[in-house]
Amino acid sequence: MWRMGLFLGRVPDEALLTGLTTGDPELAVAFVRRYQRTVFGVALAVLGDPQLAEDVAQQTFERAWRHAQVYDPRRGSVRSWLMAIAHNLAIDAVRARRASPVDPEDLDALLGIVTETPERQALADDSAERVRRAVAELPLEQARALVMAGIYGMTAREVADAEDVPLGTAKTRIRTGTLKVRALLEAAEKR
Amino acid sequence: MSGMECERLRELDAELALGVLPARERAEAVAHLDRCPNCREHVKRLTVVGDGLLALLPGAEPPVGFESRVVRALGAAPAPKRRRHRLGLAAAAAALACGFGGWAIGTVVEAAPPPVSQRTDGGLRAAALVSDGHVVGRIYAQAGDEGWVYMSVDLDGNGRGPVRCLLVHADGSTVPVGSFPLKDGYGYWGTPAATDPTTLAGARLMAPDGSVLATASLPTG
Repeated sequence: MWRMGLFLGRVPDEALLTGLTTGDPELAVAFVRRYQRTVFGVALAVLGDPQLAEDVAQQTFERAWRHAQVYDPRRGSVRSWLMAIAHNLAIDAVRARRASPVDPEDLDALLGIVTETPERQALADDSAERVRRAVAELPLEQARALVMAGIYGMTAREVADAEDVPLGTAKTRIRTGTLKVRALLEAAEKR
Repeated sequence: MSGMECERLRELDAELALGVLPARERAEAVAHLDRCPNCREHVKRLTVVGDGLLALLPGAEPPVGFESRVVRALGAAPAPKRRRHRLGLAAAAAALACGFGGWAIGTVVEAAPPPVSQRTDGGLRAAALVSDGHVVGRIYAQAGDEGWVYMSVDLDGNGRGPVRCLLVHADGSTVPVGSFPLKDGYGYWGTPAATDPTTLAGARLMAPDGSVLATASLPTG
């Protein structure tokens, strides 16, 4: 007997997203099931609060449902689209909630996550691992600035205040870190 | 275009790509990108860094019941009588103007029904299942040897199962691919089916008595 759950597990991301717009409950369940760990993970990393992260994750799916018809696969995968939505909503929630966008301890923990390669990934050469290695090669102050801006959504002014450095220094760290990672990624892609 | 404009943009490129530029500077930078394809391409390449950082974040299991709550919020709970209305809501995915970081969606989309049929780059084709001029469901067909067909149909309580699905080829020939039950007129079903996009033209849903319940025309080619 052929099982529907197994079948829906094989349906491509784009098809599931298209199906979401039909209001089909089975496709909606399959869509949420496929991405909920990713979406909740992004929200939780930015917010650090499971309750708030759950609200943001739910809003992410609602927004994806409303905007599914303008998803453009040329811009990237469904997964990265959802992560971007979750990220933006989480940053908005952070800004609405507290003046200081990041707890220093949370930053250190997150920096560890995005720079330390899990053992099972040590030999992998996928795009995520290339980004991880590139960030790990940055000087610490640039990696911190990049994570503050790229994940916590902090402006250069907020990075400057958090690190107690002039605004120009914070801007330079964000920019240099970003350009270096991009250059390292392009070099890795050419190899 | 003056060199100064590009030079100033390059000073802000990373903050723009990471989505952390304050509103006023962002507006000026986006206006510049509208006019300057070189800077647009440059910033687009940098957005990969922000997307890559997000991809490193570990997944996390949401609280128990999350899935059900979200599906309810999407209005997709299995309540057949309301589904026709929800199709309308989905079709009216309304005007939007939002920024998604590297995605930078800034398009205003007028409310419009889903197309009767559509094709994507990945070889997936979709079409409305139509009965007496009304959309009663949707069918998806993935082409190729690993292909499949999926459909959902809501006949508003009028249909009784099992219904048979026939794939219709361009030359008029039909191939039965299977049957599935309806409950109060509603059902969904999928099956692996190797399909040739150059010959598969549509599908027919047949009632047990042989009458046609609904038809779909898939985009060909």
